[in-house]
Amino acid sequence: MKAFETYLLDRAKKDGAHRLDEYKKLGGYKALEKVLKTGLTPGAVIDEMKKSNLRGRGGAGFPTGMKWSFMPDPAKDPRPRYLAINADESEPGTCKDRVLMERDPHGLVEGSLIAAYAIRAQAVYIYVRGEYRKSHDRVRDAVLEARAAKLVGKNILGSDFSCEVFMHKGAGAYICGEETGLMESLEGKRGHPRPKPPFPAMSGLWGKPTTVNNVETVFNAPFIIERGGAWLAGIGTKGSSGNFLCGISGHVNKPGVYELPFGVTAQEIVEEKAGGIWKGRGLKAWFPGGSSCALLTGKDIDVVLDHDSLKARGSSLGTAAMIMIDDQTSMARVMEIIARFYDHESCGQCSQCREGTQWLSQIFHRIAAGKGQPDDVDTLDALAKGMAPGKTICALSDAAAIPTLSAIKLFREELMTCVREKRDPLAVKQPEYAVVGAH
Amino acid sequence: MVKITVNGQQIEADPKKPLIHACHSNDVDVPMYCYHPGLAPVGSCRICQVDVKQGEAPSRVMVACRTYPVEGMVVDTESARAHETRRECLEFLLKNHPLDCPICDKAGECDLQDFTYQEGQSAGRTHEERRPLQKRKSLGDVIVLDEERCILCSRCVRFFEEIPKVAQLTVSDLGSRSVISTFMDRPLQGKYQGNIADLCPVGALTLSKFRFQARVWNLTKMASTCGECSRGCSTTVEVLRGSDVKRIRPRENAAVNGWWMCDIGRFAFSHVNAPNRLEGSLVREAQGLVIARNEDALCKVRDLLITHRDSIFVVSPWLTIEEAQALLDYSKRFGAHVMFVSVEANGEADKVLHTGDPCPNRRGLSELGIPGVKAAEIAERMMKAKLVVLVGERVVELVGATAIAKVHQATSVAVFDCHALDLPQVEACIGIANSAERTGTWVNVDGVHGPLAAVKPAPLNVRALERHLGDLVKLSPRSDAMGARAR
Repeated sequence: MKAFETYLLDRAKKDGAHRLDEYKKLGGYKALEKVLKTGLTPGAVIDEMKKSNLRGRGGAGFPTGMKWSFMPDPAKDPRPRYLAINADESEPGTCKDRVLMERDPHGLVEGSLIAAYAIRAQAVYIYVRGEYRKSHDRVRDAVLEARAAKLVGKNILGSDFSCEVFMHKGAGAYICGEETGLMESLEGKRGHPRPKPPFPAMSGLWGKPTTVNNVETVFNAPFIIERGGAWLAGIGTKGSSGNFLCGISGHVNKPGVYELPFGVTAQEIVEEKAGGIWKGRGLKAWFPGGSSCALLTGKDIDVVLDHDSLKARGSSLGTAAMIMIDDQTSMARVMEIIARFYDHESCGQCSQCREGTQWLSQIFHRIAAGKGQPDDVDTLDALAKGMAPGKTICALSDAAAIPTLSAIKLFREELMTCVREKRDPLAVKQPEYAVVGAH
Repeated sequence: MVKITVNGQQIEADPKKPLIHACHSNDVDVPMYCYHPGLAPVGSCRICQVDVKQGEAPSRVMVACRTYPVEGMVVDTESARAHETRRECLEFLLKNHPLDCPICDKAGECDLQDFTYQEGQSAGRTHEERRPLQKRKSLGDVIVLDEERCILCSRCVRFFEEIPKVAQLTVSDLGSRSVISTFMDRPLQGKYQGNIADLCPVGALTLSKFRFQARVWNLTKMASTCGECSRGCSTTVEVLRGSDVKRIRPRENAAVNGWWMCDIGRFAFSHVNAPNRLEGSLVREAQGLVIARNEDALCKVRDLLITHRDSIFVVSPWLTIEEAQALLDYSKRFGAHVMFVSVEANGEADKVLHTGDPCPNRRGLSELGIPGVKAAEIAERMMKAKLVVLVGERVVELVGATAIAKVHQATSVAVFDCHALDLPQVEACIGIANSAERTGTWVNVDGVHGPLAAVKPAPLNVRALERHLGDLVKLSPRSDAMGARAR
């Protein structure tokens, strides 16, 4: 792996960086000061973001500058507008935002304020996953500190920019990490995703223009303001710029969250950062970006990690949460766990998703238990195709169908063997424990 | 209005209403479960998928309830892809459905059943047991919920939020564990609960009063009008095999009630089904009221009218305008006063439909010049009259049998009602058809004319009031023969 400059986790690696004084010592709130004191206009901030080519880190990889520019012109649309920070990180395998919120919460607050300034939002809502108690408390304390230091609230740093930051704790639903589900939940309703259009930029929180950004996305903003969009655009590959946080988990020796530039290969990460596959085993399959992406086999480990390269291999970067699966693992069991997760977390609005996720889960459970029927694999395939793409209000149905389709494509023979032999040859005897959803 | 093409046919569509509305208004069938024209669309059941092409972009399968017509849009509801997507969706909906159609009250008018029949899907692929849930959960006095049949379209949930605007139902739990429930299992309240049984596209919500009462295909259905208040909601009255009214349901009428009606009107069939009807007529003889031919009873009424100068007609507010007109014309010959019983407001008025005024034809009668008089005042007027003719369905009930009993023994009373009234003052009693047995028109509070349908046959020898009045006219002297008494 070539040497590279780090910036995302530099502060997080130091103890005490979650406190305002330490954060300021490490150069914190300089970017906010630059924005507010040098008279940078919101348009200029958005231009800088566009120049940086930063793409959202929440999974979809949408260009952030462009997303911010979708907010209506305040001269023509005087409605109040909001920024919602999606910190409801619950995708299996993904744990990157947690590191930022626990160890560097002021970075998130500063990033949120810059984003709020760019989209002219009066308020920021930080929606933290309910189980992330420490993350929530750290960010809340950071907001309180920042407010005491006049960095949040009325006339920030003596400028005419005012912005309030509100904390919100989720109550344990994966679906509230979907942007419209998150908005419903923030409004105090059930987290049922809304059909789009209307898009959040036109009608979001309480029907007002809203931008929803991931934690890591806005965390990048202060660096871009300080060092310039061109600097970030210079890091990484053509379609994906900057560093990203890669959470690697599963059967590796050193699972963890690592900061890497786009353009490294998965192999480099596994071998140089994660210490290789555990117990000297081979790599059978892996998810490149959380459980909602298509599975890749061990052969695809040479892939360059960026949005376009993974798309070319039929998968996606998602949240860059790599889940590595060794060659002693039963894919029927892996898929049983994944499918049960989606069954547990579907909101239940759309017919395909509500019934389909349950059906997938039941079939994978049967196959893994050696009770598969001869037509099961074909049924799985047909069901997953009936659930996606784009047949439902939100993408949870797709998220359940995509790994299923890839598992059938890559491991049909293995699944069929479980069905034929009426047992799972790779099953390990393990303690009975309940597999539940994200929470 | 924009021009769109649906299945090759050019139609005009309202861009503010969902595409499915344009399809349905042009007789293009698109299945729907969560969509209802009276509720805001949510697009969650995903069954209304159609092929849509906009501009140069390739056509896409989209839900017709959340897609809005745009000029030049080309829609194909029958493309292979649209069919396939709907069929897939249907398979998911049937995954946990108990398929207990033989014992389901909704069978025969169930959207899920109809669409499954239409798609011809006969084989299921599921090896799993169906979700076991509560089969008969009472949601109060009106509604029984079968959780297994529910397809979670959420129409019932949205109905309470949008129409009476008091949210009472919700979907609880998540995903495949979702069920419809009330807060802390409290019973439903209010007088619009019955509507959710009509809204339910499957047999999940049933009326406790209609459960296992009839197979719907054995019901004769006719368009009629509700008589429980002056709103006069358009209804469909359903009769089982020509005998009893089993169910009353709202009939879509944008000018009056939209798609809804209240439970007071919905269950107001006990009086039209009431037993012990007066079949034929009664006339007073020496030994008391005895059965007589209708003609004889009518002659008795005529004779009473000719011999008594101070006579009044007290009519029911349930009288149709046709009956009222005929009665007015006839009463003029004798110079008799006509008034209707103005029943006082019953306190049921609300902002949804109920006007609180229990006189269904108040406006129609008033427009004909018949004054409404309160029951207490009618009692006083009856004390002064020599002859009281009580006319119309429920008139005895509305005036009060005790008030009638108090009139002077010398005063004669003649009654045209559905039930006999055995009081010493009563000289003649003539049975008439009730509002489920006769035709006619009521005029509601806003002046909208509502038809009555003769849904079920009247008992033997019982005829509609209009026919009795017609006979009475033929049996009576012409008005010029009545001289100065005629007005």
